[in-house]
Amino acid sequence: MADEVKLTAKSFEPLDRSKNLDSEKISAPNLTFMQDAWRRLKKNKSAVIAMVILILFFIMAILSFFPSVLPHQPNAINTQYANLPPKWPGVDINGVNGTLVQGGSRINAYAQAGAASNVHFWLGTDYLGRDLLSRILTGTRISLTVAVVATLVDLLFGVTYGMFSGWKGGRVDNFMQRLIEIIMSIPTLVIVVLLMLILKPGMWSIILTIAFSSWTTMARLTRAQTLELKEQEYILAARTLGESPIKIAFKHLLPNLSSIIIIQTMFTIPSAIFFEAFLSFVGIGIPNPTASLGTLLNDGQKNFQFLPYQMWYPAIVLSIIMIAFNVFADGLRDAFDPQTKE
Amino acid sequence: MKLSSSLKLGAVAIASVALLAACGSNSSNSGSNKQVLNWVETANLPTMDPSKSVDNVSARTLNNVDEGLLKTGSGNKVRPAMAKSYSISKDGLTWTFNLRKSKWSNGDPVTAQDFVYGWQRTAKPSTASQYAYLLDHVQNFDAVNKGKMAPSKLGIKAEGDDKVVVTLSKPQSYFKYIVGMSAAYPQNKKVVEKYGNKFAANAQSAVYNGPFKLTGWTGTNNKWTLVKNNQYWDKKNVKLSKINFQVINDQQTWLSQYQSGKADEIILDGTQFKNFKNSKELNKRELASTFYLDLNQQKQAIFKNQKARRAISMAINKEDFSKNVLADGATAPKGLVSTGLASRDGKDFADQAYVKAGTEYNLAQAKKLWSQALKATGKSSMTLNLVTDDTPAGKKASDYVQNALSKLPGLKIEANNVPFNVRLTRSTKGQFDVLVDGWIADYPDPISFSSLLTSTNSYNYGHWKNSQYDTLVKNAEGKDANDTGKRWNDLVDAEKILMQDQGIVPLYQKAQPQLLKSKVKGVEYFTTGAQFDFSHAYIK
Amino acid sequence: MAKYLGKRIFYLLLTLFIVITITFFLMKLLPGTPLTNEQKLSPEQRELILKQYGLTKPVWQQYLIYVAGIFHGNFGTSFQFSDQAVSYLISSRIGPSLLLGLQAMIVGVIPGILFGALGAIKKNTWVDTGTTIVSILGISIPSFVLAVLLQYYVGLKLGWFPIADWGGFAYTVLPTLALAASPFADTARFIRTEMVDVLNSDYIELATAKGLSRMQVIFHHALRNSLIPVVTIIGPLAVNIMTGSMVIENIFSVPGIGEQFVKSILTNDYPTIMAVTIVYSVMLMVVLLITDIIYGVIDPRIRLTGKSN
Repeated sequence: MADEVKLTAKSFEPLDRSKNLDSEKISAPNLTFMQDAWRRLKKNKSAVIAMVILILFFIMAILSFFPSVLPHQPNAINTQYANLPPKWPGVDINGVNGTLVQGGSRINAYAQAGAASNVHFWLGTDYLGRDLLSRILTGTRISLTVAVVATLVDLLFGVTYGMFSGWKGGRVDNFMQRLIEIIMSIPTLVIVVLLMLILKPGMWSIILTIAFSSWTTMARLTRAQTLELKEQEYILAARTLGESPIKIAFKHLLPNLSSIIIIQTMFTIPSAIFFEAFLSFVGIGIPNPTASLGTLLNDGQKNFQFLPYQMWYPAIVLSIIMIAFNVFADGLRDAFDPQTKE
Repeated sequence: MKLSSSLKLGAVAIASVALLAACGSNSSNSGSNKQVLNWVETANLPTMDPSKSVDNVSARTLNNVDEGLLKTGSGNKVRPAMAKSYSISKDGLTWTFNLRKSKWSNGDPVTAQDFVYGWQRTAKPSTASQYAYLLDHVQNFDAVNKGKMAPSKLGIKAEGDDKVVVTLSKPQSYFKYIVGMSAAYPQNKKVVEKYGNKFAANAQSAVYNGPFKLTGWTGTNNKWTLVKNNQYWDKKNVKLSKINFQVINDQQTWLSQYQSGKADEIILDGTQFKNFKNSKELNKRELASTFYLDLNQQKQAIFKNQKARRAISMAINKEDFSKNVLADGATAPKGLVSTGLASRDGKDFADQAYVKAGTEYNLAQAKKLWSQALKATGKSSMTLNLVTDDTPAGKKASDYVQNALSKLPGLKIEANNVPFNVRLTRSTKGQFDVLVDGWIADYPDPISFSSLLTSTNSYNYGHWKNSQYDTLVKNAEGKDANDTGKRWNDLVDAEKILMQDQGIVPLYQKAQPQLLKSKVKGVEYFTTGAQFDFSHAYIK
Repeated sequence: MAKYLGKRIFYLLLTLFIVITITFFLMKLLPGTPLTNEQKLSPEQRELILKQYGLTKPVWQQYLIYVAGIFHGNFGTSFQFSDQAVSYLISSRIGPSLLLGLQAMIVGVIPGILFGALGAIKKNTWVDTGTTIVSILGISIPSFVLAVLLQYYVGLKLGWFPIADWGGFAYTVLPTLALAASPFADTARFIRTEMVDVLNSDYIELATAKGLSRMQVIFHHALRNSLIPVVTIIGPLAVNIMTGSMVIENIFSVPGIGEQFVKSILTNDYPTIMAVTIVYSVMLMVVLLITDIIYGVIDPRIRLTGKSN
């Protein structure tokens, strides 16, 4: 059955030391966790593309702080040019040539409004003649701010809360979960209306309310996952070896929670943006005349049949951002997760 | 590319839907000539109690299922209803109504006692009727309404079963409109007492004396139906067999329902109006409703200065706002009293009382006046808040007025776009600097507007005060009440004073352009109150 | 288990009581009064109406009266609909919301699981990319935009389903689809992520090594172990969707509770806010309890009862 291994006398001779000195040396550079993740992320082409798109959007959003780089003042009213469709210089294709269908026939809206031939609104205008492109750019900034801050709260507070609750278990867990239940049980809108009373209505109070109500899901997710993870052998091993709980949390729990955390983050971002849109829908969103993607979508939705571009463009921008975020997050997840094998 | 093709497709689809709808109506025509009207409301029916109705929706439904002594119709003309005739005493204080023979939907006769009971019920404080004040000219109303006198002391008496005699405490020339409103409807005592506080809380717990009766309303649902009332005295002239009401909140949905033939009418918004401007189905409905800015003198001392108020007015281009921003047929107002509400000797009230400076747009002059006013306060800049409600028109006003006023030197405007109810609260509590406020006339008489700005009126949110104005309005309601010419002049003069002193800043006069399927004929429209009467409508 | 359950139900009631108390006092901080058109009231009448609703009493008395009322099933009278009991308002309007929510959960979650599992099994193939993009679109398009698109293209142009209104299954199709996008996307994304992890773990390799068929491995081991996060997410999501979406109900003219609830908050209709909050929190807490129990069923390693040490 078994192969016979033939051992000759030569097999027992020591190797030439000078030749094989490096056999124990690790030839690859010693990578930290982050370096390793970055290396893996770079290999994922779609994630890199998504990252570039996101960086572009962030740059555009930051640039929109300086109104001089925008094609028009985002809040400047020019009622003469109200509800003009997109017009690109030199392109004569329906949809971007400044014509639209009104009362059943296609008309040149720019001519009707008495606009000079050098007047161009790349993405059209809204009912006050405000430039939609400029408003989308500033709106993106507002929406991204809302989303990013809400996400940070989610990450810092929600994850910590969830891990602590799950790790401690027993009475502490019980108490902390009931607390979450209470917070979840009070309708968010009630909290929003109240916070608007205390704070000045505006972006920061909206961010605060979104943050206040969104971290609970993250906490519950990490807690559920922690409950499962802490019974695993490697955690047991780490405990037995006397690792401190903080160290276990960072070195063992967090990497294994990363996929859940990243995916949940991907939900927090759109839900924060949508919740802001919902607040505008019921009339307590970002105050005039500031635009956000949510308010733009909201306004656009009202005239979809006749002025479809007013809904399509904000929706497209929002979708691109979301898809980029998600693809990037998938890449990140694969890069971070210690269980992912190559 | 893709977008343009979808646009084209859209046009084709709209055309084909229109065709289909046309086919649909044709086929129903060729059938048994179905007399069914499909109407849309934008809010639920909150109550059917004539004493408690305060909103448009219930006013409209009540106007078609119940009937008062008289009834307002097209052109705000009053016609006989439950009363076949009436007479007024020389001093204008005693009104005698002769009732016709008519029945409730349950077969009970409608008697003079039903009117006495209905009015007493509206007036007595425990009913807490919010429209009770409409009866404030009726003798002893105040005492009854405050609970200091028994309801039976109210100035309305039944003489036999078919004569109602009303005694007023002071003459009221427009009382004929009041008696047609729901607060003055007859009420069947037996039914009201049978259901107690569930009276008129659903379709079954009420009786009706109008052209239709209500069915299918559970008290909280989104749909209800009016069917022809066979007990109605004039039933032979009622041609519709059914009116289906449905609640639609979304403007886009409403249009789709209209285009697909599920709804027979739609009130258009600005963009839709533009697209149907040449439609044969378009009816430009005017409304006796003015929207204006209240400037809070109690909170901001600068508004005590007429120059500051004038500056605010002159900085806003009302023509531009109503024509280009609202763009739904709304017009620039001439003053507080809406155009087309009342006229005398062929001259419209608003035209006669027109003060150009009160509504004109002149930014250069506005800047000058504002600088002067600001200087007088010793400040170099100030921030004011602008409170509007979150209706679509409210949002537009907020955007536009904020932008316009920000052009004044040293003025920063903070816009607060709040839910409707919150706006009301903030109005009454005075928590605003500048408020976009609106008023719809209850009846076609200028006093419905003019009384708002007297110094003691609770709707005078800006606390503008002018003793001359107060005197003129008081005279119109008091010593000149029986002299139509004098009364008219009092009110015209009052309006002129209001505009010269810029007590308020008129913003726009509301309109509601309506598409009505061309097969629907005979719908009566009037600019105040319930606005629609279907009793003579029919489907062709 | 029975002891654990009893304990949890006790906590549930306790939490509910706290929620009622907090909400009640928070609402007293809301601005405004509930009178729909308070401009047209004389001060005497205003006083009378407030008195009628018991709003002139000190707040603590109102609170006691309210709590006592709950025990008798009396949630007060709605301000939006005069003379309608709040319990009637809710019971007559919650049906459509529950139905739509339930349908949307079914239509969303089941394909979501399939899509997610498919993506994980066929990881890094075009199937994976395809399912991922579809589910990402599900997250990134707001429900009201989806609703408008469905209504315009499927309802008006194609004429396949009613545009709006209520009355029969056909009327529920478009709102259900618009609502289902979110549970669909959530489930698909979580299942894919979890399953990729699970498929990499040792026990799956062991199961494969034991000679179990691919199907058995996926359904018995992989899927089951991927459900934890989905279960965590789905519960509250279901409650949220079933208690009505104002936006969707508005667009499709559904006579549900969602719009009434938003309106009640914006118009300070205290009794309605309170009642809906109670309904909402009871549903939520029951769902959370069920979730915790399901955790144990799915993964016996999770111990809820004792201390871990």
